[in-house]
Amino acid sequence: MNMRDRVLTTLDHKEPDMVPLTEFAIDPPHLEALTGLKVEGQTSLQTPVSADRKEEMANIDMTYRCYKRLGFELVPVELSAPDGWQAPKNPDGTMIDEWGRILRYTSVTRTWSPFRSIFQNPEDFDKFTLPDPDAPGRLFGIEQMKKLVKDDYALGAFIRDPFAHVWEMFTPGNFVRWLYEKPQLIRKAIEKLADFNVSIIKQLREVQVDLVISGGDYSEKNGPMVSPRFFREVIFPNLRRQVEETHRLGVKFIKHSDGNLNPLLPDLVQIVDGLHSLDPTAGMDIGAIKSQYGKKLILFGNVSVDSLCRKSTEEVIRETKDCLRLAAPGGGYILSSSNSWFADAKLKNCLAMVETARKYGRYPISVPRG
Amino acid sequence: MSQKQMALDAVTQAFGEVLGADEAKKRVEAALENSASPMEIIESLREGLDIVGKKYQAQEYFLSEVIMAGVMAEEVTGLLRPRLAVSSTNMFGRVVIGTVKGDIHDIGKKLVSTMLISAGFDVVDIGVDMPAEDFSTAVRDSSPKILAMSCLLTNAMDEMKKVVAALGGAGLRSSVKVLVGGRPISKEFAQEIGADGYGADAVDAIKAARGLLS
Repeated sequence: MNMRDRVLTTLDHKEPDMVPLTEFAIDPPHLEALTGLKVEGQTSLQTPVSADRKEEMANIDMTYRCYKRLGFELVPVELSAPDGWQAPKNPDGTMIDEWGRILRYTSVTRTWSPFRSIFQNPEDFDKFTLPDPDAPGRLFGIEQMKKLVKDDYALGAFIRDPFAHVWEMFTPGNFVRWLYEKPQLIRKAIEKLADFNVSIIKQLREVQVDLVISGGDYSEKNGPMVSPRFFREVIFPNLRRQVEETHRLGVKFIKHSDGNLNPLLPDLVQIVDGLHSLDPTAGMDIGAIKSQYGKKLILFGNVSVDSLCRKSTEEVIRETKDCLRLAAPGGGYILSSSNSWFADAKLKNCLAMVETARKYGRYPISVPRG
Repeated sequence: MSQKQMALDAVTQAFGEVLGADEAKKRVEAALENSASPMEIIESLREGLDIVGKKYQAQEYFLSEVIMAGVMAEEVTGLLRPRLAVSSTNMFGRVVIGTVKGDIHDIGKKLVSTMLISAGFDVVDIGVDMPAEDFSTAVRDSSPKILAMSCLLTNAMDEMKKVVAALGGAGLRSSVKVLVGGRPISKEFAQEIGADGYGADAVDAIKAARGLLS
């Protein structure tokens, strides 16, 4: 069974020969440590920040080498900026992405992150020209990675969830205020961004990806960011459109979210095929979710990122064994951390997670406690 | 019940039910017309925010309601500020707040900041991605009762420890209570770095701030 088949088998809720592994992102310091290469140019985990294809090719090649070295069966890739696009730069050193988010460089992670927005008033959105999904080059990175992974590894295409995207584009303060004062604007923005995603998903037919992964959070530690009612009225119908388009490609749709998703699970299980990250520190119990929804949901997770950063290697090994014991039986499970390998995660702990998964992840699963 | 008390209850209700900034301002103006003092209105606002906090922690409300209540509180305190003596708005004393170096997240910090102002604190917000020395300088310059630090990234957590050390190095540690919060922060971590208090979320942070000064 090759690595891609291992993933495809588990996506069908069957047991492959062993539990597949992946991370949805690995921060530059770890990529560099694991490959001996250097991350080129400017990067962000949330949005394309450069259309320099030479740099992008180098970074894709480095990601491929890193995943190959780790033996990760599933390789996720972000959308690219369109050909020739250049991020507008501000005098204070910030830049603006295609979606009007103002990004600032974070020296610790060496990536660009959104922290402000060009949208100050509701009218700003009416004047804003949304990015064209059909602009050439958006699938550049995904196409390049497909050439590298061929049919040996599974390939996942990242899109950005419309709710999370609008929440960030407008900033949470404006999003909430306009939700109260201009609810139609928020609805319209989410619909427009879902339209964008549907167009992208249609284009993915050309590349033959194995998964569509929707990034962006629905919840924080306490619970959903907005009421479950708003999810049902606005967010979920738009999520469903993206899932349906993905299913037309014949592939599965995985929703990522940090935070406490428990109040949304009964709805999500009816819409998406799987869930990623299942943050244990936010009350996401992978064993309970497996018992209740495991026949319908593919689960990704959930070795705590906090443990990777701050706890002992023994603790990480114990958590990894727990994940395997609770979530792997029956298939439909891919082991990963509860978010990604942050820059300050101890690489020793990350590698212990991988090693433990390989040691105890062979089917039929039999993991000793402790 | 007097007209004034009814108007004050309506302010509490506007916050407790998160009826929006316009409605809150309308009800505050009605309370003023019914001879309520700005301090009485602020007290009604606080009662409303307490309701929001309780409902959030009981998962009846969500982050959006807490943020909106913060927006409403900001607008209403802005409306009342010219009518209030400075000392009476700052009954609990000053708080210096910031996000630590390596982290540019502003939302949680801003929310806590707004709610602290509404709860009667005088807040000095020093911004995001702030080095330990800047926290220390702000404490020296502003003489707050509390120094509040936020971070969302685990990468930045150790910066909090550096801030506590910088306060010690500058001989300021005993003059200020240290409050920490943010997604990766736990009570145990707060104790480990020698902080005095910990807020699990924005609502909890306000409670913790009050607790530190009680």
